[in-house]
Amino acid sequence: MSIECLSTICPYCSCGCGINLIVKDGRIIGQEPWKEHPINEGTNCPKGKNAYQFLYSEDRLKMPLVRKNGTLKETSWEEALDLVASKFKEATPENFGFIASCRNSNEDAYVMQKFTRVVMGTNNIEYCGRLCHSPAAAALIPAMGSGVMQTSQPEIELADCFFLAGVNLRETFPMIARRVLRAKARGAKVIYTDPRKTTTARHLADIHLQLRSGTDAALINAMMSIILKEGLENKEFIASRTAGIDELRAFLAKVDLKQAEEITGVPLEKIKEAATTYAKAERGCILYDQGMSQHYVGTDNVRNHANLALLCGHAGKPGSGINSMRGQINGEGSGDMGCLCVFYPGFKRVGEDSAKLFEEAWGVKNLPTKPGITYIDMLYKCPYLYIVGGDPMMVVPDTNNVKKALEQANFIVVQDIFPTEISKLAHVVLPAATWVEREATHTWIDRRVQKINKVVDPPGEAKPDWQIICQLAEKMGRKNKFNFSSSGEIFEEIRRCIPQYKGITYERLSKTVGGIHWPCPSEEHPGTPTMFLEKFNTPDGLGHFQVVEYKPPAEVPDEEYPYFLTTGRSIFHYHTGAMTRRTPKLNDEVGSSFVEVNPEDAAKVGVKDKDLVTLKTRRGSIEAEAKVTDEVPPGLLFIPFHFADSCANVLTISALDPSAKCAETKVCAVKMEVKA
Amino acid sequence: MKGDMYIARSPDKETADKAECGGAVTALLKFALESKKVEAVVAVKARDGNRYDGVAVVITDPKDLIETAGSLHCASPNIARFLKEYLDGAFNSKIAVVAKPCDAKAIIELAKRNQIKLDNLLIIGLNCTGTLPSAKAKSLFKEQFEVEPADVVGEDIEGNELIIRLKDGSEKKKDLAELEEKGYGRRENCRRCETNIPVMADIACGKWGTTDKDSTFIELCSDKGADFFEAAIEGGAIKVDQPSGNAVESRKKKDQAAVESAQKWQEKDFATLEEMSAEEKFSYWSEQFSHCIKCYGCRDACPICYCEVCFLEAERGFIPPGEVPPHMLFPMVRITHVMDSCVNCGQCQDACAMDIPISRLIFMLSKKIGAIFKHEPGMDVTALPPLRTVTDQELGQEGVEVTF
Repeated sequence: MSIECLSTICPYCSCGCGINLIVKDGRIIGQEPWKEHPINEGTNCPKGKNAYQFLYSEDRLKMPLVRKNGTLKETSWEEALDLVASKFKEATPENFGFIASCRNSNEDAYVMQKFTRVVMGTNNIEYCGRLCHSPAAAALIPAMGSGVMQTSQPEIELADCFFLAGVNLRETFPMIARRVLRAKARGAKVIYTDPRKTTTARHLADIHLQLRSGTDAALINAMMSIILKEGLENKEFIASRTAGIDELRAFLAKVDLKQAEEITGVPLEKIKEAATTYAKAERGCILYDQGMSQHYVGTDNVRNHANLALLCGHAGKPGSGINSMRGQINGEGSGDMGCLCVFYPGFKRVGEDSAKLFEEAWGVKNLPTKPGITYIDMLYKCPYLYIVGGDPMMVVPDTNNVKKALEQANFIVVQDIFPTEISKLAHVVLPAATWVEREATHTWIDRRVQKINKVVDPPGEAKPDWQIICQLAEKMGRKNKFNFSSSGEIFEEIRRCIPQYKGITYERLSKTVGGIHWPCPSEEHPGTPTMFLEKFNTPDGLGHFQVVEYKPPAEVPDEEYPYFLTTGRSIFHYHTGAMTRRTPKLNDEVGSSFVEVNPEDAAKVGVKDKDLVTLKTRRGSIEAEAKVTDEVPPGLLFIPFHFADSCANVLTISALDPSAKCAETKVCAVKMEVKA
Repeated sequence: MKGDMYIARSPDKETADKAECGGAVTALLKFALESKKVEAVVAVKARDGNRYDGVAVVITDPKDLIETAGSLHCASPNIARFLKEYLDGAFNSKIAVVAKPCDAKAIIELAKRNQIKLDNLLIIGLNCTGTLPSAKAKSLFKEQFEVEPADVVGEDIEGNELIIRLKDGSEKKKDLAELEEKGYGRRENCRRCETNIPVMADIACGKWGTTDKDSTFIELCSDKGADFFEAAIEGGAIKVDQPSGNAVESRKKKDQAAVESAQKWQEKDFATLEEMSAEEKFSYWSEQFSHCIKCYGCRDACPICYCEVCFLEAERGFIPPGEVPPHMLFPMVRITHVMDSCVNCGQCQDACAMDIPISRLIFMLSKKIGAIFKHEPGMDVTALPPLRTVTDQELGQEGVEVTF
């Protein structure tokens, strides 16, 4: 009778909650609360409560697959990797692209970018952070010096005013909603911007600003203008810690509040209430995610919320700041490791200097000095693609077009744990070990590095991602630079190359429940829960205002496509649904896609609840079941993006943010027809 | 025989040194395994030596028992659930289990529901005046005692004081009531728990009634417990003395004091719920349950819940699926299914992601129902859940009313 209770961290969102797994004879048979863990103290959300079932889904990839005569056939690692190596040798630095994932471990991600730069000689390495939080870096590096979450999760409870900017907190980050709720019990106020009247609007917010999709910048300009007019700005903070207020002040003087009301659709009184509530708070905390950043003006949106925070002095204090909330387990870490075409590890901007630095660190020559191609462009421009742990066929806008491009690709390698939409187009599919099938670190939402230990064996011949890539590097003649025998050895190299991680060791992590926040410069350093306490990380140490002009969405409704469409998440599912749709209890809650339709619109078109409707945009059409609800206002339709059989991104528009290259997946024009 | 009381300690020096109170509990567990009276022991150990991380362990080799020696006040693993869920409810093996009073009561409730085979269990009960929430205990030690949590090597609750022992051998004390006033201290359910001595177990062990730190006061609470204990004496596995009359009296007094304190907490906790008007109650609970995110944490943690396919599961179609918060029937069904049998273990509230005071509510209802039916959950395996055995005639009686 061998039953063990082993601790681990939840595989889903980026909160990093603790879980105890019950393991009997090498198999996980249950899970129990881990009450000591500081993030969740023994509690979990619905996904966290059903954390491990996906591991045992029958269709886990167990053997390498190679496409022969049009179908994927099982083969040996030897044959599969030989084929991949020979094909990748044909590729050039310009036409090869590597797409990593927010689900990779730090060690995996680090090896992936190193492979891309050292073996393939290109900076064409990206991860899905590009599609959700690239505006954070683009906007917040100039504003404050870093795009990371600025406070730690426990400190969130200290805030007395929250600005939930387009984040349906109760569904997407329930364990952070818990902290907001605790702060509320002590009197904190919650402002929430979202076009939908979500469960967060109904059960967490005090002031819900139900703005029109994509009008965030106009709303914030109006709020700032009101704050200045009423003299509620934090004069001392502005004087001592910021630069550029005069330009902002001059610009805001021209803001027409009546017009802002018309653009946003939010009554001016409510905008005023929100503005004064946030400005008068002691400790204002902006929490945001894709609702704000997945627009072609995403960077502008983030810039303007940063302006608001600086204007009121709500930054550089525990529980305050403007906090980008990365949605996935390694959303932070894969970026830290350098899986972005413009950054070497540790956010060192690609260029001559950074290439030289890493040439020395890695003992190699001729590292690429020019920025690579960004995620979405890569799909269209790189005929040799290596895609690990992600599904561009689900998450990239205008999927039909993506498919057309990928069907023309020379060679696509997909490395994952399940067959996915993208693996249907792959030439080689490699089976990966995941989560507790290997030892690895991840970096969670608040720069919190924690280690996950190996608990069970991977299925069949599946292997950790880093091992597969190291073996491929060996086949491509670069064994000496990828001679890692454990994830621990990779982490040691990470510590040497990334100053923020220098003081973090596997040994420290195994002793520190809840992990360590980077930056952690030495092994004696406790880690840094709050950023910017003394100064910002900008060259002059000041926070910088950046004037933002409102621009309307790229595509707005017209006669032919009369509705706005927006996309989002359900608490019961995770992203592309690969894991949660294989978890019976979660899939029983929400088993298929749906479209939320306001009763007024439903009556106009003759749609009844549960009718099957066709949604059509200029890019494609899908079917979904109508959910008639006042959760959406008239003129707006909402669909979740978890369901491959009703893929939301068939509809969305590929309008890209010019600075961040993030796409406008949160708003486009759509028509709806009842299916005959 | 049942009812006998002893002062006991381990004859083995290593056990006595490593464990607390003379190592009597560890010695009994060792005897249970070595004499093959059980195949396994279920106890709690500090994982990787971390006092704040107590987990249930299954031990079959007597040599491993030493790592479960000593008490952990900052841990509250769900022992009854562990037995039911992962050890087939002891239907297929004989097990000795170490249980706090709430654990033992939950085991008895599960046995009533045919989920645990009591015949195969030897319940070694431990006196308990409360446990501290693991994560919060660390901030308590840091912020109020001003010590590093890792430097704490022992805790004790003695009368009104929380005492901690540090690595360097020193002790620090603080007034428990004051700490609890500030929001620290014991888990909420523990504060109002009146059962400090686990007389529903086979053997009840504790320090009350002893005069030194090297012995354990033992009461034999069942025939099974008495037979086992007498065999342990005979086998030389445990050394015993007779407790003095003073010792017995002192134990009783300490228990009474703890019970009175618990009753005060009950009055206080329940008053906040009872003093509201009907409208206020409705709005308070509607608000509380509107925070629910349908994680099923409370249900899964409840040691009394046991249905294979719960009525509340989405696939049953009773609660509309996919909604957050779930329909009000969700908490209502949970409450009504367990409210005649709540043992106030607090596991549901510990597991609630949204801090809903669910254990306070269910325990309050359980007390009310208990008063009507003269029933105390978790004490007697033959006393069936009253709402299951209630007769039409009883239901028709006037003046019987349970509200919240």
